[in-house]
Amino acid sequence: MKRLLLVLVAGLAAAVLGYCGIYYAGTAKYCCPAPGSAPELAWLKQEFHLSDAEFARISAMHEQYLAGCAERCRHIDMKNRELARLLAATNTITPEIEKALADCALLRAECQKKMLEHFYTVSQTMPPDQGQRYLTWVQRKTVLSDTHTEMHHH
Amino acid sequence: MKPENPLQNDEVLTRTLREWKVEASLPPHFRDEVWRRIEHRDLQEPVWLALARRLSAAFARPSLAASYVALLLLAGLLAGFWQVRVTRAQMSETMGARYVQMIDPYQRSLH
Repeated sequence: MKRLLLVLVAGLAAAVLGYCGIYYAGTAKYCCPAPGSAPELAWLKQEFHLSDAEFARISAMHEQYLAGCAERCRHIDMKNRELARLLAATNTITPEIEKALADCALLRAECQKKMLEHFYTVSQTMPPDQGQRYLTWVQRKTVLSDTHTEMHHH
Repeated sequence: MKPENPLQNDEVLTRTLREWKVEASLPPHFRDEVWRRIEHRDLQEPVWLALARRLSAAFARPSLAASYVALLLLAGLLAGFWQVRVTRAQMSETMGARYVQMIDPYQRSLH
């Protein structure tokens, strides 16, 4: 009976060790991104198989894009607040509301244009096949997002 | 009353026992009944004990014990591999969504 217990415990220990070993080996590189880089960018490097040089160039582009993006975000917030104030003041569409809506739409188009420019630049920095894959993926997630279809389905 | 002689009694008893013969015959299927009762007793043994006894007998063979350990090791490796795939897919999905939120102002909660 002692031998039976020994064999049973050895089997269970082997299973646990096998599970933990392969799990640790398979997820170790995902847990700790390179120091100094955002985990999202580390993911981009991993997902699109970027070399260190490509990753460095894309990281610099990303920083540059985010700086401009922050400024555009400030404009969007400002326009949204203005629109909210106008909407609260009346229950009909005034010329000011029309203009604010048009400004918001223009701002959105400008944002999307800048985003697309960034996507194209980033994709051209990647190896061609990965660049194409990145472009398809990121366009589907942003400018071609199916949010409206989902809204109608709900 | 005359006291009895114990030695004489013993001799009488011994002689009587030697001469005594059992005339009664065994009931029919006596032997089968005995085996049936033995088997029935085995059946009443707790399941875990019977299982432990069988496993113990099986694992007495080193090849079978090694196979059992190897099989569990393989099961652990496969489960770990599957879990890695699931975790990677989830992390990839999350990181992808976070990347998109970083670059698309209209997907941030602010706007």
